Amino acid sequence: MRLKVQVLALVLLLALGVVASGCIGGQSTQTQAKEEVTQIVIGVTDKVTDLDPANAYDFYTWEVLNNIMEGLVKYKPGTLEIEPAIAERWEVNEDSTVWTFYLRKDVKFADGTPLTAKDVVRSIKRVMKINGDPAWLVTDFVKDVVAKDDYTVVFYLKQPTSYFLALLTTPPYFPVHPNYSDTQIESDATYGGAGPYRIVKWVRDEELVFEANPYYYGEKPKTKRIVIKFYRDASTMRLALQNGEIDIAWRTLRPSDIKSLKQSGNFNVIEVPGGFIRYICLNTKVDPTKNVKVRQALAAAIDRKEIAEKVFMGTVEPLYSLIPNGMWSHIDAFKEKYGDANIELAKKLLQEAGYSESNPLQITLWYTPTHYGDTEADLAQILKEQWERTGMIKVDIKSAEWGTYVDYARKGQMQVYLLGWYPDYLDPDDYTTPFLKSTANSWAGTGYANPTVDELLTKAQRLTDQNERAKLYEEVQKILAEDVPYIPLVQGKLYLVTQKNVKGVIIGPDMIFRYSTLYKEG
Amino acid sequence: MSRGLGRYILIRALMIIPTILILYTVVFIFLRILPGNPILAVVGTKSISPEQLEHLMKMAGLDKPYHVQYFEYLWKILHGDFGVTLAFPMGKPVWDYLKQRFPATLELTIWAFTISVLLGLLTGVIGATRKGTKVDTAMRLYSIVAYTLFIPWFGMMLQYIFGVKLHLLPTSGRLDPGIQLKTITGLYVLDSILTGNWPAFVSSVKHLILPAFTLGIVLSGAYTRLVRNNMVDVLSQDFIRAYHARGVPPRKVTWYALKNAFIPIVTLMGLQFAILLGGAVLTETTFSWPGMGTFIVDRIDYRDYNAIQGAVIFFAFFVGLISLIVDVIYAILDPRVKY
Repeated sequence: MRLKVQVLALVLLLALGVVASGCIGGQSTQTQAKEEVTQIVIGVTDKVTDLDPANAYDFYTWEVLNNIMEGLVKYKPGTLEIEPAIAERWEVNEDSTVWTFYLRKDVKFADGTPLTAKDVVRSIKRVMKINGDPAWLVTDFVKDVVAKDDYTVVFYLKQPTSYFLALLTTPPYFPVHPNYSDTQIESDATYGGAGPYRIVKWVRDEELVFEANPYYYGEKPKTKRIVIKFYRDASTMRLALQNGEIDIAWRTLRPSDIKSLKQSGNFNVIEVPGGFIRYICLNTKVDPTKNVKVRQALAAAIDRKEIAEKVFMGTVEPLYSLIPNGMWSHIDAFKEKYGDANIELAKKLLQEAGYSESNPLQITLWYTPTHYGDTEADLAQILKEQWERTGMIKVDIKSAEWGTYVDYARKGQMQVYLLGWYPDYLDPDDYTTPFLKSTANSWAGTGYANPTVDELLTKAQRLTDQNERAKLYEEVQKILAEDVPYIPLVQGKLYLVTQKNVKGVIIGPDMIFRYSTLYKEG
Repeated sequence: MSRGLGRYILIRALMIIPTILILYTVVFIFLRILPGNPILAVVGTKSISPEQLEHLMKMAGLDKPYHVQYFEYLWKILHGDFGVTLAFPMGKPVWDYLKQRFPATLELTIWAFTISVLLGLLTGVIGATRKGTKVDTAMRLYSIVAYTLFIPWFGMMLQYIFGVKLHLLPTSGRLDPGIQLKTITGLYVLDSILTGNWPAFVSSVKHLILPAFTLGIVLSGAYTRLVRNNMVDVLSQDFIRAYHARGVPPRKVTWYALKNAFIPIVTLMGLQFAILLGGAVLTETTFSWPGMGTFIVDRIDYRDYNAIQGAVIFFAFFVGLISLIVDVIYAILDPRVKY
């Protein structure tokens, strides 16, 4: 027994010693590590889903892929202007069905393997063959793709597609390293492509480490190493930023955190216009939202400015169309038709639909508690208050977690519900066709179908003249405001909070954060 | 080992099987009763055809009747196969994740366990030896407060004080960014010692302090109470009085009393280990600690049936194993135990 107790005492002593040594020696080593390595640490609460561009289909994973891969063309940093990338120039035939790209001759993958037209063709055909989630971005448009020679790639499209260059900036079109299997999804593969960085360490949901690609054809990244730290929640990430453990807190801090970090004055708070939108879906197949007057009344009663201020603390801006503010063809369709918080109009429409104060409209508003951050319950509550201000609407709020919520939406089981949208490519088509075209909107569960809208959208997709297209999208937006299968609410802004010495943050309208321009001062 | 002890161990080991089976059944039923499924959680709002959806369901084996799914997974488990993940990344062996995540939880648990026992013994002994005084009241108060602390709140307080305000300790993760460590056991402190990587050693210890103390302090309350009460009992016994009468120094007497009060504490240690693993889920979430707890929570978000089932079975097996070991130690320590 005596021996056992002595052993126990020794173990405890050792444990204490370890704790003490940690406390004493800690600070200097952290400083030492920072001095030795030129790196920037970025915290995120997002997750990487699938590192294979044939299957990756979410905003954050596309950001990672954009840093380790590059397509034939890319957005000029901070703009919507498309510039050459792996292709140095391109040609397009008259009806924009045949696109020819001429590749740069000095492009190499991150291990020094030269990149040729064959790699581009193989990568795109691989996406078509695997047919993962984002494959439609290729298969809906590309009939065939061939390598004419080592440095010439020709795309034959199924129909004239005016925005094909915008599609080419998306990851399914990125050439991948020859090590990627032709037929299998490689979710954790880090071979990458020919981007400015390569992945040197990847521990799912924990850490992702990039190092500058020594063979990159373009300008060398300003910071050699970028570390991504994955956080479970925004509070922990905020504490890590305040403690200096991370240099940048990226997606996504809560509005209250952004506000207080801004007020503290200890950090740079960078605001970036975002192309993601929030909206209400209205089921056009079930009572009472089947009645267009009801849907119009709900649209009229909403006060977007109040939502932006009270729920999101000014971190979003009001949105009056599904096509975001600032994008060509956008019109404030809902503002023109209903104004904001137009209670009188809402009451009139409700009366026309047969409702009154003694016979109020009863609706159920659904939301999902975590998928869009923890402000969602507040958003649902404020909508209830705004609608009930008419005195003629009674709102019951219900919630379901994401998997269930999506299931309910697809089956058309909800009446009125909240959703959000991140763009796949930057074109009005991506903000209209998936929502309004009857053959493409089954996911949303609104059951909306209007042959005129279908026709306008098909026509707009095929036209090459932007002014002509804009006219068609304007028309579509006016019909949207009339039919109200969706009510646009707000458009998000993106926020980065950085330590004072971090410079070179450039994020364009594509909302992709490219790490190669980042650097630390001092 | 005597024949009786061998039989006792065998029976106790066999009892783990029905425990796991009941737990698996409950988890299986709950996952299926709740609406939604992993494929839809992954697909989200993206536009895919009903045929594609059906294809994905088939690939994941979710088109089969529930009883078939139940027995198929059970059959796999019996063969040591935990199945593949149904959510991102799809089709990866669940075992790969358990292997990667479990050491992080184990490391946190070992440290928290050590801290809780140490603090519990210290405060319990102090309380018992100063029975009826203000110090005793303070120790009893400590026990109640520690026991009722809510881990996420307490963890955040420590993060704020020692991280944000004092800049003494990191608030999340297991290692400083940029520090490379070759893993052998997955226990970073041990691995850094084995590989002689001192920056990694210091960094991993620093990262462990706040989560381990959060969990350790919360769990120490139960020890304080038990140690104090047992010690008070022992200290009032005749042999202790005899020690005092013979002029044995008080510190030595306390030591002898603690040794006598130790057996029920060993039992509590075994029980606490299971509670520790539960508490680790909350602690891991608070400190973004990449262990089993955060893994299960992530997978619940995705409704990843196989990963949740696999992790729960693995947890249950581990807790069962620890209980078995504790029971055996207890049986060996206390001759009064019949087996």
